[in-house]
Amino acid sequence: MNKWQIFKNGVFNENPIFRLVLGMCATLAVSSAVVNGLGMGLATTVVLVGSNMIISLMRNVIPKEIRIPAYVVIIATFTTIVDKVMAASTPDLHKVLGIFIPLIVVNCIILARAEAFASKNTVIDSAIDGLGMGIGFTLALTVLGTVRELLGTGTLLVAKDFGFSGITFFPKENGVLLMILQPGAFITLGLVLAGINWWVRKKEEKNNG
Amino acid sequence: MVKKELRLVIVLTIICVVAGGILAWVNSVTEPRIQAQAELAKKKALQESLPAASEFRSEQLLLEQVHQAGNTNLSELFIGYHETEKRGLVSIADVRGYSSTIRLVIGVSADGQLAGVKVISQAETPGLGVKITERDFLEQPALQRVSSADQLAVVKDGGNVQAVTGATISSRAVVRGVNQALAAAHLLLEAKEQ
Repeated sequence: MNKWQIFKNGVFNENPIFRLVLGMCATLAVSSAVVNGLGMGLATTVVLVGSNMIISLMRNVIPKEIRIPAYVVIIATFTTIVDKVMAASTPDLHKVLGIFIPLIVVNCIILARAEAFASKNTVIDSAIDGLGMGIGFTLALTVLGTVRELLGTGTLLVAKDFGFSGITFFPKENGVLLMILQPGAFITLGLVLAGINWWVRKKEEKNNG
Repeated sequence: MVKKELRLVIVLTIICVVAGGILAWVNSVTEPRIQAQAELAKKKALQESLPAASEFRSEQLLLEQVHQAGNTNLSELFIGYHETEKRGLVSIADVRGYSSTIRLVIGVSADGQLAGVKVISQAETPGLGVKITERDFLEQPALQRVSSADQLAVVKDGGNVQAVTGATISSRAVVRGVNQALAAAHLLLEAKEQ
């Protein structure tokens, strides 16, 4: 696999949310608005790239019996660094994402990439894999956030903490409150997944037939 | 066999020690900044809730009295000064909302009028409870011209404060915090009169 394919794999073919359906806890919780999804996605990307690189670098040093605790320690270290740095530099965004930043530790995508990719590939390939997966995660969160924020509140890209009041499409009284609540997350994710599966199947049939 | 197990212990120990060291360093770099940011945010909130004052001094003694009177949600009290003149009382209240503890700053001016309510931190439901931080809620008519002798309540509880739609619990929490701050200011004003 060349470098571009590794990258593309994370964004499209094995998109963590839409294709692998991993890391659903954070996905369902923070996809209520575009900015939340974007912030969470970028924070996860930093952790993914960092932990993938270190784990790849140490893949011959870590005995396989203790690889899981070793990975968890490395991932937790990166997550804590991201959490601390965000709290110090972007306190507003950090406040919005709250508990979900520390919870990146338990996001299955990161451990899955460490186990499935970084422990078997070179440092550069692992970094690209982390970047692709992270961007795929960010993209998916942004798509879900766009649908939910638009239908739920009638606005897009509301980022009060950055002094941006968003683009209003219709008055918020007409918004479907359900969409920004938990059921909205399940409904949106289900419909998007169904759409993507339908499209992928159609493409496969076309290729085979 | 023993040798192999020893290696497992050593490798994992080294990883943990290195990780711990890195985190200690990151913490030492970021912690002062996080503290400074929090301090700055607090000062800004104090200022906004009582614009007439320019300097704030913590009031420990009054806080104890206020706690004894049953207003246990107040965590800090400040008297706002402009030059040497007292301009009012600012309370910080920690009230239990729907999904988080809401930290409020409530300013009451020296003549016993509610001067401003701000939310410093909260983690209420996005799109619902979060709206308690907006001006539409915090600066509604029912929260204007309130005297420290008053006690507020949301419409559902027989008062006239409009709760955020779908977030009565969060709205009630804010009202509870405001009420305790009003009571604290009332206590202070009464003590002055005697």
